[in-house]
Amino acid sequence: MLSWIYLSIAVVFEVTVAISAGNAKGFTRPGWTAATLLSGAIATYFLSLALLTFDVGVGYSIWTSAAGVGIVIMGVVFFGEKLNWKKFSGIALVIGGVIGLRLSGAA
Amino acid sequence: MMNELERVKSTRNAWVMLLLAGVFEIGYALSVAGSEAFSVLSWSVSAIVFFLLTLYALSVALKTINVGIGYAVWAGIGAIGSAAFGSIIFEQTLTLLQVFWLGVIIVGVIWLKLASIENIPTSEQGLTSS
Repeated sequence: MLSWIYLSIAVVFEVTVAISAGNAKGFTRPGWTAATLLSGAIATYFLSLALLTFDVGVGYSIWTSAAGVGIVIMGVVFFGEKLNWKKFSGIALVIGGVIGLRLSGAA
Repeated sequence: MMNELERVKSTRNAWVMLLLAGVFEIGYALSVAGSEAFSVLSWSVSAIVFFLLTLYALSVALKTINVGIGYAVWAGIGAIGSAAFGSIIFEQTLTLLQVFWLGVIIVGVIWLKLASIENIPTSEQGLTSS
């Protein structure tokens, strides 16, 4: 159970990595670059804790996919993007896949 | 303004950079796993190096390539690669059913990234004019 909490914290910081990396423009903007590196370091540390339990392929995939879902949700909630059927089906696939992995004993 | 040849060259370089970013991401995932929560020095150093390389390469590639497509390719390579090489290097064998669900997640995230393309055009135009 603790490994899921570690993975969740890693996901939150990976969402901030994606947002700041998008604004760092090849590391030419110092503030965004610092935000990218700092949140990346925190995300990496918590991922490493989660991977003590999860197999790397499973843990890494859940981590990166959940972050993808998080980015879309952030876009909808804070940046006024629309949740169309494509995004909705993508989110459903990710969630369905994570539940499937959990039930199949991989996570 | 760039001429046509320079534009094609810069697009090609950006895709090479994106594929490199994907390879670095596999190295990052495997190193983080091998580091045992950063208690093994060699894997920890390799994790930090790959972390910086993947972020740099991705950031450079996304200056030219659409963010949605860029992240989709990068995440896809990283997820498939880490599952494949993780099972070889760390002997973490997955059952066929687990591979199936892993595939569902990876398709989901690629699909999700591609679905966000339509929101990008304004920033794309902003990039090319700057």
